[in-house]
Amino acid sequence: MEKLINKPAKGKLIYRILLILALGVLLVAEGFFGFRLHELSEKQEQIKHDYSRVNNITYGLFSVQQWKDKVADIVHHQVSSLKITSKQKKILQGEVEQVLLALIDKAEALVNKPKKTISGKIQKFAIKNFVNSDSIRAQVPAFARKIIAEIDNPKNKKQLGRMALGEFNEIAKEESQDTAFVANNAILKKIYHQYNVSSNQQLNLKLSSTLSSIRQQTYYYCFGMLSCVIVVLAFWWFLRKRRDLHTTLFIMSLLFAFILLAVGLTASMIEVDARIRSLDFVLLGEHVVFSDQVLFFQSKSILDVVRVLISQSAIDSVLVGVLILAFSILFPVVKLTSTGVHLLGGKRWAENGIIRYFAFQSGKWSMADVIVIAILMAYIGLNGLLENQLRALNINNDSLTILTTNNTALQPGYIIFICFVLYGLILSTILKSITPHDVH
Amino acid sequence: MSELQKDNIGTHNQIKPGRSGSASFILIAALSLLLVAAAYCGYRFRALAYEQKHIKEDYSLSNNITFGIFSVDRWGDKISAVVDRRVKGFNLNKSQKADMQQEVEKQLHGMVNKAVAEFTRPQKGLGAKLKKLAFNTFVDVKEIHAMVPSFSRTIVTKVTSPKSLKKLKSVAVGKLNELEAQTYDLSDQTISSVEHNIYQKYKVNNATAFDKTVNAKLKQIKGLSYQYAIGMTACILIALLLWLILRRRVDSEVSLFVISLLFAFILLAVGVSSPIIEVDARIKTLEFALLGEKLVFNNQVLFFQSQSILGIIGTLVEQPKPDAVLVGVLLMLFVVILPLLRLIARGLQVSCTELLGDSKFIRFLAFDLGKWDMADVMVVGIAMTYIGLNGILKSQLSGLNIDTEALKVVTVNNSALQLGFFIFVAYVAYNIILSSILKRIDEQNGPCN
Repeated sequence: MEKLINKPAKGKLIYRILLILALGVLLVAEGFFGFRLHELSEKQEQIKHDYSRVNNITYGLFSVQQWKDKVADIVHHQVSSLKITSKQKKILQGEVEQVLLALIDKAEALVNKPKKTISGKIQKFAIKNFVNSDSIRAQVPAFARKIIAEIDNPKNKKQLGRMALGEFNEIAKEESQDTAFVANNAILKKIYHQYNVSSNQQLNLKLSSTLSSIRQQTYYYCFGMLSCVIVVLAFWWFLRKRRDLHTTLFIMSLLFAFILLAVGLTASMIEVDARIRSLDFVLLGEHVVFSDQVLFFQSKSILDVVRVLISQSAIDSVLVGVLILAFSILFPVVKLTSTGVHLLGGKRWAENGIIRYFAFQSGKWSMADVIVIAILMAYIGLNGLLENQLRALNINNDSLTILTTNNTALQPGYIIFICFVLYGLILSTILKSITPHDVH
Repeated sequence: MSELQKDNIGTHNQIKPGRSGSASFILIAALSLLLVAAAYCGYRFRALAYEQKHIKEDYSLSNNITFGIFSVDRWGDKISAVVDRRVKGFNLNKSQKADMQQEVEKQLHGMVNKAVAEFTRPQKGLGAKLKKLAFNTFVDVKEIHAMVPSFSRTIVTKVTSPKSLKKLKSVAVGKLNELEAQTYDLSDQTISSVEHNIYQKYKVNNATAFDKTVNAKLKQIKGLSYQYAIGMTACILIALLLWLILRRRVDSEVSLFVISLLFAFILLAVGVSSPIIEVDARIKTLEFALLGEKLVFNNQVLFFQSQSILGIIGTLVEQPKPDAVLVGVLLMLFVVILPLLRLIARGLQVSCTELLGDSKFIRFLAFDLGKWDMADVMVVGIAMTYIGLNGILKSQLSGLNIDTEALKVVTVNNSALQLGFFIFVAYVAYNIILSSILKRIDEQNGPCN
């Protein structure tokens, strides 16, 4: 009995130091994981920015440069295949003949008019004697055929094609001299240089492989952080009988919560991806394909979402931004601090109404952010409505031009934030059971 | 579970004898009737909400932008119709004819000048010199130039005669059709099969009839669902009023509370299963000026989605990605299962039954789990999502609005909160009232004996 009373005084300190050391190591590990996660998510954001820049619809479908080759092909195709059919030829020839005959009639009528001057009379005489209008008329069909042949001449058509192309190249040139275009081009070149590639395809290949490796790594770090938290909770389970260590353990647990919160707020939590899946059609006999035209492709953290909403001009969006800010930053920080204050501060502090509310009741409101993102995800991210409907009707939709946001995905930051909310709720339940103060 | 609770009501009626027995029996009967009415209204409301959702989904399918502005075939049809009309209706008016004649005259004068220059340039050979002399003597250049207008008039009249215009037009139209036939994508057959399916479903045979049917149906559904929603809330309000008036009769309080829980259950069930937010972004009109005519695309649905809380959870859980599944499960737990459990626990707590074992556990469910019951957070979350999404959509869509002479685009954002959301709000409010009533009963009765 004596031993039992004496030992705790000495053992308490040792145990406490051991506990702090163990948790300290864990905390450092968690901090490292969080830091790496944060870094990777920033890198990922940058890469996505570059990717959407390079694959943006402005440089694809909306760029005259992209159409240059396609138009050349189309013109070529049209020039070589544009043939006047024999039936059309006949009609046109008939028309030309009519005009020629009318002209001959007119000329004849003019010549046959009574002339007053001597030279006029001589003219009339000469023409009447030397020119046989019937033989001219007989030559009309041959003339008409020649004229039509001239129109249908491949050389002329090529000339026409060159003219059309020249006109188009002029437009392309104008675009390439446009200041905005020049600036964009410089940026593209810089991006290519930065990633050590020379073409769009190479860049896309490289970026998507980097993205997938980053994705994997972030998930590893994310799981690392989660396992740290689980270990902390395991500590609680094993030490549930050691009331003397609870305060220390609780304060250490709060530090873990702070790290989770910081990472959860700053790491990207949702990736929004809107693109036109494919444009696939035949234009004047040429197959034109544009695939994956990116309209919008970004990763956003909670703080970014808040920034977007607050920068809107509409007052209601700003309000929502402020609410998210309150639920995701203000509430959690105040909550964590007030749980600390409740435990460490005196009775007067601990039983203060505000402190008590924040320590025990406020936790679930951070879930509002989680819910917002979840609903957004269900509405935007998983919007396969059209594809599903078409599939239900057994219609192949591979080559249809469909606006899709299907690749929108949740990111590790979201998981971390959910963990923070749940962890916070668990902590306040734990606090309720270990606090010496009144909680109701 | 509800049967169990009804059992409880039964036992309580038998246990409490006395003068107020018949009064409380009448009250309970009346409340049960109201309950059945509310349940019926809720059921009909939900069915209507789903019908509305399906109709709107079909409408958005048949009016999807993929089958309109994004369809090369549609553009091809519209453009060739305009060009065809232009070519067929092509006729030269007087001033155009005069212009044409002038043009021809200019050409002829040029030709004459060229011929004259050919003859009059300095010649070398004797024969050529003689020719030049003859030309100079006999040909009066001025006279030839004077004849040009009459020749050109002949050409113009000949070319523009109705007969030859008709022939030329047929050549042009043939050529245009050839070009059009070379421009296509695969949307045409998709459009026709989609239209075929949808028209068959709604028993109509063209787009205008479909629009008319859909609008009529939607209008009818809207009116009816308002009525049912009001009916449901009215039943609940009457029940609460009865409660307020008769709360002095303590002996029937427990049964009354259980019935109120059943009302809450109905509200919760309808609230989580009816659509809450409808997102609908459209290009209302796109007008494109071509050859003095306007190509018009109407009502192009860019994006449509309408989901209930259960639908949202379902979509998340169906995802292949584990994080989405996790979120779906959490939402299911906090927004649907826990509120349900709490309703049941409250019923058990009030009726002091020993059926489900430990009353401590029941107390924990009924009182302490409030922190984990996130129906109220869900309400705030839905409202925030709606406002935020609406704001972002509005600003994005207004960026698409264009109004120039050649191109005019008008977008609309028809996103709206649905009645299901308000039912869910009603559940949360009702739940708060119930909690305070439960607290009062608990304080009066003390823990179960």
